[in-house]
Amino acid sequence: MGAGPSKAAEAEFSRAASKGQIRAVADSLERHGISCTVVDSGEEARGAVRSILPEGAEVYNNTSRTLEVTGVAEDIERSGQYQPLRPRLYQMDREMQAREMRQLSASPDWVAGSVHALTEDGSLIIASASGSQLGPIASGAGHVVLIVGAQKIVSDFDTGLRRIYEYCFPLEDRRARQAYGVSSGVNTVLVINSTIAPGRTTVILVNEPLGF
Amino acid sequence: MSMIDYDARPVTPQVVLVGDRASSVGYSIRDFLSRNGVPYQWVDVDDAARVAELLPAGEREPDQLPVCVLPNGVRLAPATLEGVATGLGMVSAPSLSEYDLTIVGAGPAGLAAAVYAASEGLRALTIEAVAPGGQAGTTSMIENYLGFPQGISGSELATRATAQARRFGAEILLARRLAHITSDGPGYAAHLSDGTAVQSRAMLVASGVDWRRLEVPGIDELLGSGVYYGAGPSEAITCSGCRVAIVGGGNSAGQAAIRFSRYAAHVTLLVRGRSLEASMSQYLITQVQELRNVEVRTNTEVVGLESDAHLRALEISSGGTVSRLLADALFLCIGGAPRTQGAAAVGMALDGAGYVRTGAELSSSAGSLDRWPLSRQPLPLETNLPGLFAAGDVRSGSIKRCAAAIGEGSMVVALVHQRLAELGGE
Repeated sequence: MGAGPSKAAEAEFSRAASKGQIRAVADSLERHGISCTVVDSGEEARGAVRSILPEGAEVYNNTSRTLEVTGVAEDIERSGQYQPLRPRLYQMDREMQAREMRQLSASPDWVAGSVHALTEDGSLIIASASGSQLGPIASGAGHVVLIVGAQKIVSDFDTGLRRIYEYCFPLEDRRARQAYGVSSGVNTVLVINSTIAPGRTTVILVNEPLGF
Repeated sequence: MSMIDYDARPVTPQVVLVGDRASSVGYSIRDFLSRNGVPYQWVDVDDAARVAELLPAGEREPDQLPVCVLPNGVRLAPATLEGVATGLGMVSAPSLSEYDLTIVGAGPAGLAAAVYAASEGLRALTIEAVAPGGQAGTTSMIENYLGFPQGISGSELATRATAQARRFGAEILLARRLAHITSDGPGYAAHLSDGTAVQSRAMLVASGVDWRRLEVPGIDELLGSGVYYGAGPSEAITCSGCRVAIVGGGNSAGQAAIRFSRYAAHVTLLVRGRSLEASMSQYLITQVQELRNVEVRTNTEVVGLESDAHLRALEISSGGTVSRLLADALFLCIGGAPRTQGAAAVGMALDGAGYVRTGAELSSSAGSLDRWPLSRQPLPLETNLPGLFAAGDVRSGSIKRCAAAIGEGSMVVALVHQRLAELGGE
């Protein structure tokens, strides 16, 4: 692998949804107990995250192109406003502190990330090669903030899975080979249809394509 | 959203350090970054391709090294520890003109005092020369600290304590060394290395201990070039496949041996005493004995060093016989020398070894209370100067244990309250 998505997949899955679709998705998410804020740009999304994360909060930012391009990753890791877990984990001794690393990454107070697909009826779909990002989003983290570009909205669950296999995976595989020298994989998939803890999860829907 | 999180590496640019591995300045910056939890990449100056990517030709000269490239792209050449700390925004000014309590040192005692003082509403400021955690902060795993049945690393304990202190509102100033203390009315002023003066109504000296120097010819020239005091985490990975020697028979030496055994080809623990039992916790002795690549040599001392630009071998003496031990790195984890340089000039009474006398010990040492101005006796952790306290390893008679230091740091806050009440206004 490493060739990237096909032209057909590129055409189907990189196009931003309409404002009407975005509004409808936002309503669906709210009905399922997931708070949703709609903003027009990545810059506004960055501001929204700043207003949500409390000062001093312990935050894990998932590896995410969306978080990078919006500047949210920089805010979390470098602003001094939060306790970022990622630099802390990176400094730990993988031999001696493996247990501490596992505990810290599994249960942050806040986790920030994105998703691979969001269906029109409000289901969030996230794939992971290692699965490490999924546990905190599903239940381990105290609070979840997800920034979602408008191109990730799909009509239904099957199309969402197709988006992952045909579009996200080829792009992610190429990135992983360049960044880590290994291939990626759709090894674990998390689907969030609803939440029984209202207020725990916030989706910031952005009226423009962000990440992949 | 990525599908993968292999190593939790930060996604934003990291500090990059370019230099000669044998540079002691480079070592001090690596140690500072590592102990403060700042991710960095080390690029050896011999890695020509990588260096060419990072630096213009004029900044690759030896007198420009080490070079530090900050995340914002600013290059410091040659870099200094203070410059790096400032460039990273880690150096801040005190926010108040006066505090209730100034704490010198952010080791276990200082951090505990900061947590309790701030949580009880005192305006507390902590000054730390290097990084929170003190000697305990460099410990790979503390397995007998109460409440952590699987153990906790010193760095993690320090990180949590620092976050806890800050959450309660304590201020911690990093990369500042205490120059000296002066009396300031009924309180004290701490004068810092950058010229800042901090006034407070009470002060705690919790500056801990330095590693004791080993008296071997040529050792100072090799500091950072194969010879290191303590066993900082920044060096463990770089010792992969190396022959490592550690001098010391205490818990710090045992923990260092366990840490380095994960990376080094062979570790030799050199112990001056006849056995480890007198100086090391039994759980550590058991672990060290089970490690196949760790050898313990008792009744042994280092008497000489062989080197070119870097350490190559040790001369060791055992029972009057001198032999040669190949070693790429030597870590010295012996005893401690009380760190009172900045504090002693104000007139604190010290014991024969230089540790700070406190409480009842002052009454039993001739002359210590000759200038004591109050009708009451010194409080338990109070020095011979009212309102100036000492806690942790720097204190005469203290138990050199992390938990004991934390206990003293917690306890001293109650005594500070008594002193502040005495001064009025509390």
